[in-house]
Amino acid sequence: MKRGFVQLVRRPVFYIIMIVAPLLCSFFMLDLMRQGVVQRVPVGIVDLDGSSISRSIERNLGAMQNVSITHHYRGYQEAISAVQRDEVLGFIYLPAGLEHKALSGQDPTVSYYINYAYFTPASTQYKGFKTITLLANGAIAKTTLEATGLLTEGGVSAMLQPILTRVHGLNNPWTNYSFYLNLSFVPCLLALFILLMTSFSIGTELKYGTCREWIASAGGSIEFAVAGKLFPQTLIFTSTGWMIQLLMFRVYGLPLNGNVWNMIVAMPLLVLACQAFALTMMCITPNFRYGTTLSTLLGVMSFSFCGFSLPSDSMYAWVHALGNVMPVRYYFLLSIDQALNGIPLYYSRYYYAALVAFTLLPWCLLWRLKRECINPVYVP
Amino acid sequence: MSNRRFDNRVWRWLASVYEVCRREFSLVFHDEGVIIFFLVLCAVYPVMYSLVYNTEVARDVPVVVVDDDRSASTREFARALDATSELCVTHYVANMGEARRLMNEHACCAVLHFPAGYDRDLMRGEQATVEVFCDMGLVLRYKQVLTAVTGVQQDFNTRIQKEMLSVVPLSMPQNTISNEQVALGNTAMGLASAVLPAILVLVLQQSMLLGICMLHGGSRERRLVNRGNDPLEVPAGVIASILGKSLCYLMIYIVPTVYVLHFVPIFFDFPQNGRLLHVLLLSFPFLLATSFMGQALKVFVNDRESTFIAIVFTSVVFVFLSGISWPRYAMSALWLAVGNVVPSTWAVEAYIAIQSNGATLAQQSHAYLMLWVLCGVMFVFAYLVERFLCRRRYRRMRHYAKRDAQALLREEYRHQAVDITEDRPLDTP
Repeated sequence: MKRGFVQLVRRPVFYIIMIVAPLLCSFFMLDLMRQGVVQRVPVGIVDLDGSSISRSIERNLGAMQNVSITHHYRGYQEAISAVQRDEVLGFIYLPAGLEHKALSGQDPTVSYYINYAYFTPASTQYKGFKTITLLANGAIAKTTLEATGLLTEGGVSAMLQPILTRVHGLNNPWTNYSFYLNLSFVPCLLALFILLMTSFSIGTELKYGTCREWIASAGGSIEFAVAGKLFPQTLIFTSTGWMIQLLMFRVYGLPLNGNVWNMIVAMPLLVLACQAFALTMMCITPNFRYGTTLSTLLGVMSFSFCGFSLPSDSMYAWVHALGNVMPVRYYFLLSIDQALNGIPLYYSRYYYAALVAFTLLPWCLLWRLKRECINPVYVP
Repeated sequence: MSNRRFDNRVWRWLASVYEVCRREFSLVFHDEGVIIFFLVLCAVYPVMYSLVYNTEVARDVPVVVVDDDRSASTREFARALDATSELCVTHYVANMGEARRLMNEHACCAVLHFPAGYDRDLMRGEQATVEVFCDMGLVLRYKQVLTAVTGVQQDFNTRIQKEMLSVVPLSMPQNTISNEQVALGNTAMGLASAVLPAILVLVLQQSMLLGICMLHGGSRERRLVNRGNDPLEVPAGVIASILGKSLCYLMIYIVPTVYVLHFVPIFFDFPQNGRLLHVLLLSFPFLLATSFMGQALKVFVNDRESTFIAIVFTSVVFVFLSGISWPRYAMSALWLAVGNVVPSTWAVEAYIAIQSNGATLAQQSHAYLMLWVLCGVMFVFAYLVERFLCRRRYRRMRHYAKRDAQALLREEYRHQAVDITEDRPLDTP
């Protein structure tokens, strides 16, 4: 234990990796998406009609939060070229004869072109364009219907939209991007740091051939040696984790609808589980580099295969399975339950249990690490 | 006479660039760790990422139905939802409490609620309401629910309108103005085709940074045991050494670049509207800037393994700085500025425009220009690092080593906080 502390105190790089870098990265992620919702996507408009209807569509678009009309183009070619130049992220095309056709019932088509290479602003644009075109359509139809005098005002809206669906996004009705993304990505970053740090500090002993002394200092017991070495890191990482939670839930206002203590307790469990995971990797692989590489690879890939954006059950089965062996996945699932949705702890019991199970896993494999420590082989 | 001397000096300088480059080649190909970064990483990572996202969309999101109306029309609506590719009705339950329990147990992601009187309202010609409650843990699922519900709603509305119009003597067209969406760039509207182009560019940059830093770590380790000298180093000027190394990395990266930026999109059917020539022209300043950046960042790396902890986490930061997730125009000035100095930001922007939207390099002249500016900036950084930090350190190392051969190692051990006993030989690394 003393050895672990001494090592920590002496190396400034350890402070950076355990405190400064995780906090900075979390701050980066949270501050980047501070606005929460992508608004005012720069779009262009091609108005070949120049009629009162086309101008009213343009005015309505301009009044929307979703998009902001930054450029006017004279034709399709010009607008497409602007998309290719990244000047705008999409445009709406109002064809010539729009008003004439609309009023004479010839069913003209308004098209909107959206650059889906940028996914998030594309969804925002879609919402804006779709709403505006439907509204324009509805306004004309409403005027026409009311002019017949056959229907009351309520009857007209029932005529235009007989079934109304209301979709409620539970606990995040604004579809706040930061709420959704940072709940998973920030802990995953922390997990990556823990994986790197754990494998690095054990690997250092292997590399410098000092592992025999390391074990000797723990009275010949690998269990004590590992625990003593990693426990100081556990403490530091846990407090960093709590600071990150403070940053997330208090400073940047991510939803915390459950009991605060459920999340506070989950943090040391995550830290321990990640340390144990890295330790297991070091036990399984024969040397420092493979152990570190494996931990790093899985740590970086876990941003994708843990199902933070694409749901796990939509992935190939083997990817899904791979996601399930990462501790941070369980932290992510329990934080959805406990922070976002605030449901009773009972329903997240398996996730907590999984984190504990990860912590227990390497104790069965430590004999391999011990054998390695007694006969260290450093492969550059 | 002076002209010839000048010629000689130029030739000697070029020869030293060539020597550095040749030595760097041999260093790279004799170092398993660097090979893993330069070649294996580039070969494997894009494939793994693509496989993870290859399913592109979520299908058959489980939904529970609470039907307080119990009429033929509610059942029809639910059946139609079940038939969409997006949703799958897994349970019918009696009340919202039960539905909530199922949701808490993670058995479903959304609850569809028909309030009593749905059918009656519909028959009376009044507006009928359907409520949908959706879990927001994953936005992609929410999007699927929204798409499916809106789609079914519109189909039903159109049909009901037709029925109504056949009763009411009106000659109103169905739609006065139709609308259509045209997806540009990523016509599949899938997640993979949106995210992967950025990841591909990032893989090239990060693997190169990792490799360069690991090479530097290896060189420093050799200095430790050789009294501050790297026996494998070619004596050359600062500029010649930087350029020679960059030349080597660029040549090695020809194959990975063509593979990652051209062939991987073909394998996985990602957008491929760009011309290979433009992609290659773009990647030249990008990789050059990256190689200089690596030679500037190497100052943070002292041994081979600290490469991991110094470089790996930046990948995530760089991905977000490139604006593929949160758009760049919505970033604050600070993050925009930070993003501006990373080569991948500009390369991602231009690569997506070229490959997804079919732009020409001329249309991306701004990003291209910025990459060349970054080449200059990064070269200056690399020069400063090599000249004023690294070489000064080497001189100091040699100075100490002259007095005591073991001093360097002892200092290194002290720095690594490895306790050594006096009788241990100091020659392990």
